[in-house]
Amino acid sequence: MEPAEVEFLAEKELVTIVPNFSLDRIHLIGGDLGPFNPGLPVEVPVWLAINLKQRQKCRLIPPEWMDVGKLEEIRDQERKEDTFTPMPSPYYMELTKLLLNYASDNIPRADEIRTLVKDTWDTRMAKLRLSADSFVRQQEAHAKLDNLTLMEINTAGTFLTQALDHMYKLRTNLQPGDSSQSQDF
Amino acid sequence: SFLQGSKLEIPLWLAKGLHDSKRRIISVELPKIYREAWRTVFSADANVVDLHKMGPYYYGFGSQLLNFENPENPEIAQTILQASLSWGWLCVTCLCSLQTFVARFRRIMDSSQNAYNEDTSALVARLDELERALFQVGQKGLNDFQCWEKGQASQITASSLVQNYGKRKLAEVDG
Repeated sequence: MEPAEVEFLAEKELVTIVPNFSLDRIHLIGGDLGPFNPGLPVEVPVWLAINLKQRQKCRLIPPEWMDVGKLEEIRDQERKEDTFTPMPSPYYMELTKLLLNYASDNIPRADEIRTLVKDTWDTRMAKLRLSADSFVRQQEAHAKLDNLTLMEINTAGTFLTQALDHMYKLRTNLQPGDSSQSQDF
Repeated sequence: SFLQGSKLEIPLWLAKGLHDSKRRIISVELPKIYREAWRTVFSADANVVDLHKMGPYYYGFGSQLLNFENPENPEIAQTILQASLSWGWLCVTCLCSLQTFVARFRRIMDSSQNAYNEDTSALVARLDELERALFQVGQKGLNDFQCWEKGQASQITASSLVQNYGKRKLAEVDG
Protein backbone atom coordinates (compact mmCIF):
# COMPACT_ATOMS: atom_id res chain seq x y z
CA MET A 1 0.00 0.00 0.00
CA GLU A 2 1.03 3.57 -0.49
CA PRO A 3 1.02 5.83 2.60
CA ALA A 4 -1.57 7.89 0.75
CA GLU A 5 -3.86 4.87 0.66
CA VAL A 6 -3.47 4.32 4.38
CA GLU A 7 -4.29 7.99 4.86
CA PHE A 8 -7.39 7.52 2.74
CA LEU A 9 -8.58 4.83 5.14
CA ALA A 10 -7.72 7.02 8.10
CA GLU A 11 -9.95 9.78 6.75
CA LYS A 12 -13.01 7.72 7.61
CA GLU A 13 -12.34 8.21 11.32
CA LEU A 14 -14.75 10.54 13.07
CA VAL A 15 -13.75 13.89 14.50
CA THR A 16 -15.80 16.67 16.15
CA ILE A 17 -16.30 19.98 14.40
CA VAL A 18 -18.23 23.14 15.17
CA PRO A 19 -19.83 24.35 11.95
CA ASN A 20 -20.75 27.96 11.18
CA PHE A 21 -23.51 27.06 8.75
CA SER A 22 -26.83 25.28 8.69
CA LEU A 23 -27.66 22.16 6.80
CA ASP A 24 -30.19 19.39 7.22
CA ARG A 25 -29.12 15.80 7.54
CA ILE A 26 -27.31 14.60 4.43
CA HIS A 27 -27.61 11.04 3.26
CA LEU A 28 -24.43 9.59 1.88
CA ILE A 29 -23.66 6.06 0.76
CA GLY A 30 -21.62 5.44 3.90
CA GLY A 31 -24.33 6.72 6.21
CA ASP A 32 -26.06 9.88 7.36
CA LEU A 33 -24.31 13.04 8.52
CA GLY A 34 -25.56 16.07 10.36
CA PRO A 35 -27.76 18.01 10.80
CA PHE A 36 -25.42 20.99 10.98
CA ASN A 37 -26.28 23.99 13.12
CA PRO A 38 -23.98 26.95 13.74
CA GLY A 39 -22.15 26.66 17.03
CA LEU A 40 -23.29 23.11 17.79
CA PRO A 41 -20.59 20.37 17.80
CA VAL A 42 -21.18 17.49 15.44
CA GLU A 43 -19.18 14.40 14.52
CA VAL A 44 -18.11 13.97 10.93
CA PRO A 45 -15.47 11.88 9.10
CA VAL A 46 -12.06 13.53 8.82
CA TRP A 47 -12.29 13.90 5.05
CA LEU A 48 -15.34 16.10 5.43
CA ALA A 49 -13.91 17.99 8.39
CA ILE A 50 -10.80 18.90 6.40
CA ASN A 51 -12.86 19.95 3.43
CA LEU A 52 -15.13 22.18 5.53
CA LYS A 53 -12.17 23.64 7.37
CA GLN A 54 -10.45 24.53 4.10
CA ARG A 55 -13.62 26.32 3.03
CA GLN A 56 -13.68 28.08 6.40
CA LYS A 57 -17.01 26.59 7.30
CA CYS A 58 -16.05 25.07 10.64
CA ARG A 59 -13.68 24.89 13.55
CA LEU A 60 -12.03 21.58 14.42
CA ILE A 61 -11.97 20.16 17.93
CA PRO A 62 -8.86 18.01 18.50
CA PRO A 63 -9.49 14.44 19.73
CA GLU A 64 -9.04 14.09 23.47
CA TRP A 65 -5.78 12.15 23.03
CA MET A 66 -4.23 14.97 20.99
CA ASP A 67 -3.04 16.73 24.13
CA VAL A 68 0.51 17.30 25.35
CA GLY A 69 0.04 15.63 28.74
CA LYS A 70 -1.65 12.55 27.34
CA LEU A 71 0.89 12.16 24.53
CA GLU A 72 3.79 12.49 26.97
CA GLU A 73 2.29 9.64 28.99
CA ILE A 74 1.95 7.54 25.86
CA ARG A 75 5.48 8.29 24.74
CA ASP A 76 6.92 7.39 28.15
CA GLN A 77 4.87 4.22 28.29
CA GLU A 78 6.13 3.23 24.85
CA ARG A 79 9.74 3.80 25.88
CA LYS A 80 9.32 1.76 29.03
CA GLU A 81 7.63 -1.33 27.66
CA ASP A 82 9.16 -3.99 25.41
CA THR A 83 5.86 -4.67 23.75
CA PHE A 84 3.78 -2.23 21.75
CA THR A 85 1.36 -0.13 23.77
CA PRO A 86 -2.14 0.26 22.39
CA MET A 87 -2.40 3.57 20.58
CA PRO A 88 -5.32 5.94 21.23
CA SER A 89 -6.24 5.66 17.58
CA PRO A 90 -5.33 3.04 14.99
CA TYR A 91 -4.54 6.00 12.74
CA TYR A 92 -2.70 8.22 15.20
CA MET A 93 0.05 9.14 12.74
CA GLU A 94 -2.28 10.01 9.88
CA LEU A 95 -4.70 11.99 12.02
CA THR A 96 -1.85 13.95 13.56
CA LYS A 97 -0.47 14.84 10.17
CA LEU A 98 -3.86 15.80 8.73
CA LEU A 99 -5.14 17.82 11.65
CA LEU A 100 -1.88 19.62 12.27
CA ASN A 101 -1.49 20.46 8.60
CA TYR A 102 -4.99 21.81 8.03
CA ALA A 103 -6.17 22.90 11.46
CA SER A 104 -3.15 23.75 13.58
CA ASP A 105 -4.84 26.98 14.62
CA ASN A 106 -7.49 24.89 16.39
CA ILE A 107 -4.96 22.74 18.24
CA PRO A 108 -3.12 24.12 21.25
CA ARG A 109 0.67 23.53 21.39
CA ALA A 110 0.65 21.99 17.91
CA ASP A 111 4.45 21.86 17.53
CA GLU A 112 4.93 20.00 20.78
CA ILE A 113 2.25 17.55 19.77
CA ARG A 114 3.96 16.96 16.44
CA THR A 115 7.26 16.24 18.18
CA LEU A 116 5.70 13.93 20.75
CA VAL A 117 3.89 11.88 18.13
CA LYS A 118 7.06 11.63 16.02
CA ASP A 119 9.03 10.47 19.07
CA THR A 120 6.47 7.81 19.80
CA TRP A 121 6.54 6.69 16.17
CA ASP A 122 10.35 6.46 16.19
CA THR A 123 10.31 4.39 19.37
CA ARG A 124 7.73 2.01 17.93
CA MET A 125 9.58 1.61 14.63
CA ALA A 126 12.80 0.84 16.51
CA LYS A 127 10.92 -1.80 18.50
CA LEU A 128 9.57 -3.24 15.28
CA ARG A 129 13.07 -3.56 13.85
CA LEU A 130 14.33 -5.17 17.05
CA SER A 131 11.45 -7.60 16.92
CA ALA A 132 12.10 -8.38 13.26
CA ASP A 133 15.78 -8.98 13.93
CA SER A 134 15.19 -11.43 16.76
CA PHE A 135 12.51 -13.16 14.68
CA VAL A 136 14.98 -13.60 11.82
CA ARG A 137 17.85 -14.66 14.06
CA GLN A 138 15.89 -17.33 15.77
CA GLN A 139 14.29 -18.31 12.47
CA GLU A 140 10.89 -18.53 14.06
CA ALA A 141 8.00 -19.76 12.02
CA HIS A 142 5.40 -17.52 13.54
CA ALA A 143 5.23 -14.23 15.40
CA LYS A 144 2.44 -12.14 16.84
CA LEU A 145 2.72 -8.41 17.32
CA ASP A 146 -0.17 -6.67 18.99
CA ASN A 147 -1.17 -3.05 18.74
CA LEU A 148 0.65 -2.14 15.55
CA THR A 149 -1.01 0.39 13.32
CA LEU A 150 -1.46 0.03 9.59
CA MET A 151 0.98 2.81 8.72
CA GLU A 152 3.73 1.15 10.76
CA ILE A 153 3.10 -2.23 9.18
CA ASN A 154 3.01 -0.66 5.74
CA THR A 155 6.32 1.17 6.14
CA ALA A 156 8.32 -1.85 7.30
CA GLY A 157 6.23 -4.67 5.88
CA THR A 158 7.53 -5.03 2.32
CA PHE A 159 11.12 -5.26 3.50
CA LEU A 160 10.32 -7.87 6.09
CA THR A 161 8.25 -10.10 3.82
CA GLN A 162 10.89 -10.01 1.07
CA ALA A 163 13.63 -10.88 3.54
CA LEU A 164 11.60 -13.80 4.83
CA ASP A 165 11.00 -14.95 1.24
CA HIS A 166 14.76 -15.04 0.64
CA MET A 167 15.31 -16.94 3.86
CA TYR A 168 12.71 -19.45 2.85
CA LYS A 169 14.41 -20.01 -0.51
CA LEU A 170 17.82 -20.38 1.09
CA ARG A 171 16.41 -22.86 3.57
CA THR A 172 14.58 -24.98 1.01
CA ASN A 173 17.72 -25.17 -1.17
CA LEU A 174 19.15 -27.63 1.29
CA GLN A 175 16.27 -30.05 1.10
CA PRO A 176 16.71 -33.16 -1.04
CA GLY A 177 14.95 -33.36 -4.38
CA ASP A 178 15.35 -29.74 -5.34
CA SER A 179 15.87 -30.76 -8.95
CA SER A 180 13.09 -28.35 -9.83
CA GLN A 181 15.82 -25.81 -10.60
CA SER A 182 17.62 -27.83 -13.29
CA GLN A 183 16.48 -28.23 -16.83
CA ASP A 184 16.72 -31.37 -18.93
CA PHE A 185 17.88 -31.12 -22.52
CA SER B 1 37.70 -28.41 -29.62
CA PHE B 2 38.48 -29.17 -26.01
CA LEU B 3 40.84 -31.74 -24.58
CA GLN B 4 39.53 -34.11 -21.96
CA GLY B 5 40.72 -33.07 -18.55
CA SER B 6 41.33 -29.44 -19.46
CA LYS B 7 40.09 -26.68 -17.22
CA LEU B 8 37.88 -23.87 -18.57
CA GLU B 9 35.79 -21.03 -17.32
CA ILE B 10 32.31 -21.05 -18.73
CA PRO B 11 29.13 -19.24 -17.74
CA LEU B 12 26.85 -20.95 -15.24
CA TRP B 13 24.00 -21.28 -17.74
CA LEU B 14 26.26 -23.23 -20.10
CA ALA B 15 27.53 -25.45 -17.33
CA LYS B 16 23.97 -26.22 -16.31
CA GLY B 17 23.15 -27.14 -19.89
CA LEU B 18 26.17 -29.43 -20.24
CA HIS B 19 25.67 -31.07 -16.89
CA ASP B 20 24.28 -34.57 -17.12
CA SER B 21 24.50 -36.94 -14.19
CA LYS B 22 24.61 -39.97 -16.48
CA ARG B 23 27.15 -38.93 -19.11
CA ARG B 24 29.46 -36.79 -16.99
CA ILE B 25 30.68 -34.46 -19.70
CA ILE B 26 31.89 -31.93 -17.18
CA SER B 27 32.71 -31.63 -13.54
CA VAL B 28 32.44 -28.36 -11.74
CA GLU B 29 35.00 -26.87 -9.40
CA LEU B 30 33.73 -24.87 -6.46
CA PRO B 31 34.59 -21.15 -6.41
CA LYS B 32 36.75 -20.45 -3.41
CA ILE B 33 34.25 -18.37 -1.52
CA TYR B 34 32.10 -21.47 -1.03
CA ARG B 35 34.93 -23.55 0.35
CA GLU B 36 35.94 -24.32 3.85
CA ALA B 37 38.50 -21.57 4.38
CA TRP B 38 35.92 -18.87 3.84
CA ARG B 39 33.44 -20.58 6.08
CA THR B 40 35.46 -19.66 9.17
CA VAL B 41 35.47 -16.03 8.11
CA PHE B 42 31.71 -16.03 7.75
CA SER B 43 31.08 -17.62 11.08
CA ALA B 44 33.44 -15.19 12.82
CA ASP B 45 31.66 -12.06 11.62
CA ALA B 46 29.52 -12.19 8.52
CA ASN B 47 29.16 -8.43 8.50
CA VAL B 48 32.75 -7.67 7.48
CA VAL B 49 32.74 -9.68 4.27
CA ASP B 50 32.50 -7.71 1.06
CA LEU B 51 29.96 -9.90 -0.68
CA HIS B 52 29.85 -7.63 -3.69
CA LYS B 53 33.52 -8.08 -4.46
CA MET B 54 33.36 -11.83 -3.92
CA GLY B 55 30.95 -12.27 -6.78
CA PRO B 56 27.91 -10.07 -6.61
CA TYR B 57 25.40 -12.91 -6.61
CA TYR B 58 26.65 -14.83 -3.58
CA TYR B 59 23.29 -16.22 -2.49
CA GLY B 60 21.81 -16.88 -5.92
CA PHE B 61 24.96 -18.40 -7.38
CA GLY B 62 25.53 -20.58 -4.35
CA SER B 63 21.98 -21.90 -4.59
CA GLN B 64 22.50 -22.73 -8.26
CA LEU B 65 25.74 -24.58 -7.58
CA LEU B 66 23.84 -27.07 -5.47
CA ASN B 67 22.41 -28.45 -8.69
CA PHE B 68 25.73 -29.97 -9.68
CA GLU B 69 26.28 -33.28 -8.01
CA ASN B 70 29.46 -34.73 -6.71
CA PRO B 71 31.77 -36.04 -9.41
CA GLU B 72 32.37 -39.73 -8.97
CA ASN B 73 35.11 -40.71 -11.37
CA PRO B 74 36.99 -43.48 -9.52
CA GLU B 75 40.17 -43.06 -11.61
CA ILE B 76 41.21 -39.79 -9.96
CA ALA B 77 40.53 -40.77 -6.40
CA GLN B 78 42.77 -38.24 -4.73
CA THR B 79 41.26 -35.30 -6.58
CA ILE B 80 37.82 -36.75 -5.98
CA LEU B 81 38.29 -36.95 -2.27
CA GLN B 82 39.24 -33.31 -2.20
CA ALA B 83 36.33 -32.47 -4.51
CA SER B 84 33.87 -34.46 -2.37
CA LEU B 85 35.02 -32.62 0.68
CA SER B 86 34.55 -29.35 -1.15
CA TRP B 87 31.03 -30.26 -2.21
CA GLY B 88 30.25 -31.36 1.29
CA TRP B 89 31.38 -27.98 2.43
CA LEU B 90 29.17 -26.33 -0.18
CA CYS B 91 26.17 -27.84 1.54
CA VAL B 92 27.44 -26.61 4.84
CA THR B 93 28.21 -23.25 3.29
CA CYS B 94 24.71 -22.97 1.93
CA LEU B 95 23.46 -23.54 5.41
CA CYS B 96 25.96 -20.87 6.33
CA SER B 97 24.66 -18.60 3.61
CA LEU B 98 21.34 -18.67 5.43
CA GLN B 99 23.18 -17.82 8.63
CA THR B 100 25.21 -15.19 6.81
CA PHE B 101 22.02 -13.63 5.57
CA VAL B 102 20.55 -13.71 9.06
CA ALA B 103 23.66 -12.14 10.56
CA ARG B 104 23.76 -9.31 8.00
CA PHE B 105 20.00 -8.73 8.07
CA ARG B 106 20.03 -6.25 10.95
CA ARG B 107 22.51 -3.86 9.38
CA ILE B 108 20.72 -3.88 6.06
CA MET B 109 17.37 -3.24 7.73
CA ASP B 110 18.61 -0.48 10.02
CA SER B 111 20.52 1.40 7.37
CA SER B 112 17.79 1.13 4.76
CA GLN B 113 15.34 2.53 7.28
CA ASN B 114 17.88 5.21 8.11
CA ALA B 115 17.85 4.28 11.77
CA TYR B 116 21.32 5.67 12.42
CA ASN B 117 21.32 8.54 9.91
CA GLU B 118 24.76 7.44 8.78
CA ASP B 119 26.22 7.38 5.33
CA THR B 120 25.07 4.07 3.89
CA SER B 121 27.17 3.96 0.72
CA ALA B 122 30.03 2.09 2.41
CA LEU B 123 27.69 -0.62 3.60
CA VAL B 124 25.86 -0.95 0.28
CA ALA B 125 29.17 -1.41 -1.58
CA ARG B 126 29.72 -4.65 0.36
CA LEU B 127 26.28 -6.14 -0.27
CA ASP B 128 25.59 -8.76 -2.89
CA GLU B 129 22.82 -8.20 -5.42
CA LEU B 130 20.11 -9.93 -3.42
CA GLU B 131 20.93 -7.85 -0.36
CA ARG B 132 21.04 -4.66 -2.44
CA ALA B 133 17.56 -5.31 -3.82
CA LEU B 134 16.35 -5.81 -0.27
CA PHE B 135 18.07 -2.61 0.83
CA GLN B 136 16.29 -0.69 -1.91
CA VAL B 137 12.94 -2.10 -0.84
CA GLY B 138 13.58 -0.89 2.70
CA GLN B 139 14.63 2.53 1.46
CA LYS B 140 11.57 2.85 -0.71
CA GLY B 141 9.32 2.10 2.25
CA LEU B 142 11.02 4.81 4.22
CA ASN B 143 11.16 7.34 1.37
CA ASP B 144 7.49 6.86 0.56
CA PHE B 145 6.61 7.45 4.19
CA GLN B 146 8.76 10.58 4.50
CA CYS B 147 7.41 11.91 1.23
CA TRP B 148 3.88 11.42 2.51
CA GLU B 149 4.72 13.02 5.84
CA LYS B 150 5.93 16.16 4.07
CA GLY B 151 2.73 16.27 2.07
CA GLN B 152 4.47 15.55 -1.23
CA ALA B 153 2.45 12.42 -1.85
CA SER B 154 -0.44 14.44 -3.20
CA GLN B 155 1.64 16.68 -5.46
CA ILE B 156 1.62 15.95 -9.14
CA THR B 157 5.14 15.72 -10.52
CA ALA B 158 6.43 14.85 -13.95
CA SER B 159 7.42 11.22 -14.23
CA SER B 160 11.17 10.68 -14.21
CA LEU B 161 10.75 8.72 -17.46
CA VAL B 162 9.31 11.70 -19.27
CA GLN B 163 11.75 14.25 -17.93
CA ASN B 164 14.55 12.72 -19.96
CA TYR B 165 12.76 12.87 -23.28
CA GLY B 166 13.98 16.39 -23.96
CA LYS B 167 10.95 17.39 -25.97
CA ARG B 168 11.36 20.47 -28.06
CA LYS B 169 9.42 23.42 -26.82
CA LEU B 170 6.53 24.68 -28.92
CA ALA B 171 8.26 27.99 -29.77
CA GLU B 172 11.19 26.17 -31.35
CA VAL B 173 8.94 24.02 -33.53
CA ASP B 174 7.02 27.05 -34.90
CA GLY B 175 10.17 29.14 -35.51
